[in-house]
Amino acid sequence: MDFTRPAPPSGRALRSYFLISALICAAICAVILITLLGQTGPVLSHNPASLFGTVWNPNLGQYGIIPMLYGSIVVMVIAMAIALPLGVLTAIYIAETRSARLRGIIKSALEVLAGIPSIVYGLIGVAYISVWVAKGLDLQTGRLILTAGLILAVMILPTILTLTEDAISNVPVIQRENARALGLYRHEVILDVVLPHARRDILAAGLLALGRALGETMAVMLVIGSLDRLPSPIFNVLSSGQTITSKLGRELGESAFGSAHFSALVLMGLILVLITLTLTGAAQWLINRRPNGVEAIYD
Amino acid sequence: MRYIFRYGVHVAGVSFAAATILTACGGDGVKTAGDTVSISGSTTVLPAISRAADDYTMQTGAKIIVNAGGSGGGFKQLAEGQTDIGMMSRDITAEERARFARHSFTVTAIGRDAVAPAVSSEIYDAGVTQLSFEQVTDIYMGRVDNWSAFGGPDRAIFAVDKEAGRGTRQVFARIVFGDKNMQAPGADLVVGSNNEEQTALAQSDSAIGMISFAWANADVRPLSITTANGAVAPTLDNVNSGAFPITRDLLIVTREDVSGQAKAFIDFVLSPEGQTHVVDAGYLPVNK
Repeated sequence: MDFTRPAPPSGRALRSYFLISALICAAICAVILITLLGQTGPVLSHNPASLFGTVWNPNLGQYGIIPMLYGSIVVMVIAMAIALPLGVLTAIYIAETRSARLRGIIKSALEVLAGIPSIVYGLIGVAYISVWVAKGLDLQTGRLILTAGLILAVMILPTILTLTEDAISNVPVIQRENARALGLYRHEVILDVVLPHARRDILAAGLLALGRALGETMAVMLVIGSLDRLPSPIFNVLSSGQTITSKLGRELGESAFGSAHFSALVLMGLILVLITLTLTGAAQWLINRRPNGVEAIYD
Repeated sequence: MRYIFRYGVHVAGVSFAAATILTACGGDGVKTAGDTVSISGSTTVLPAISRAADDYTMQTGAKIIVNAGGSGGGFKQLAEGQTDIGMMSRDITAEERARFARHSFTVTAIGRDAVAPAVSSEIYDAGVTQLSFEQVTDIYMGRVDNWSAFGGPDRAIFAVDKEAGRGTRQVFARIVFGDKNMQAPGADLVVGSNNEEQTALAQSDSAIGMISFAWANADVRPLSITTANGAVAPTLDNVNSGAFPITRDLLIVTREDVSGQAKAFIDFVLSPEGQTHVVDAGYLPVNK
């Protein structure tokens, strides 16, 4: 304890400042949700049954959101399937086997990567990745669900990597030492002691990345091909598709405010926000959950 | 815990929602202030207008901003007061007029254009140089899926469609399919601008698409149209004579409260000097 530091600024002013900031944030969140909810009225009263269809044709009043929902989820799954194992394994390698100095360099590089605007990824995707995918797989176009998933994987990799690496580095050294003292091999220390200990934080890292993957617009919009149709067969990721975000990005500018078309787009936006909120909630819950007894002794 | 705040799951989803609302609140918005003329819309009209705007800016020092966005987007931004002039390569629809019934719009033709079915150069070189409306429709409706049906190579047809609100798509669909809102279940890819369409056709070796004459090039070859009286080649002469069937006017639209600067620019585009830019962009001038 250090009792020589100056006393913090008086409580009352500071407290109300933080309270007001928090309230503003909460209010913004509420306004967004309420506005979105309010705007979905026209499509819900117009033709709610068509929402669960697979046909999107605003001219005929058909607003099937299933292809877009499907696209969003599949693209996210592809991105996670690639980025999660890759990110976690790399994080273990960096955290457990490399020096602190190298770790610092790698981590700053990763944070730069995480900060690159998504449109840049999109442009690289259109100019190179989609062309390579088309050539490599001998397809007519590289604007595919798969390409979007690949680019998203690259985009979320830094988030997963850097957070997982933090989680592993934060496991107390004493845990490793005890395990080694008990005669465990290095891989056993990592698999049986370090990873279980960092489990919650790794999971939270995954959820954060997942949120970014779901919400990403520009990069996906440029490479996914904008086809509002379920692929056939259904798991053919080598066909063009559409995600909720790419659909909104493409069509919002053309739909008239207040129309059923606009309202259907807003409804998709709302669904996306709800999914993201659920994920945020899940991540918070995982992080805040009471640690088990063993950890409590050393933390 | 702190990482939640540093990276925030919320960021992605909620910021998108915020953007939605900002767009939504556009309402009757504020126009760009001062002496700037802002123009947006059809990527078909864009090359002609931006050439004219460059010239006009050089001559008069006026500030003109020209943006893409498609015919639908161009009309919407004009109607909401975000721009001074909308570029459109199709007529304003009844729904669009009804949506902004409180405003009146003036439509001016600044040139003429033709849309042709176009194919990848590999297909053109292999001998498919003309198709009838029925054949093109068959492709887009998914009834024919191999170039061998039209004397081409034994290769699957890669049909490239355009977004529904695009002027080029609506003109093409109205004249070729017979209904401007016809959906194309045979499409394999959907693109937006002429630029994207051109890229998609050039990158493929067995694609068909729909493209404005001005955007055809060595990799993207416009087809002749097979009619009862023989094939009509996609040439400007045939457009001029009325023989080539898929044509449309290039339009610019203004609202009743159009500014003086915007009007002066439109007069320039319609002048003989302005019309040379329309021709340079690969279109036909309007006959005054």
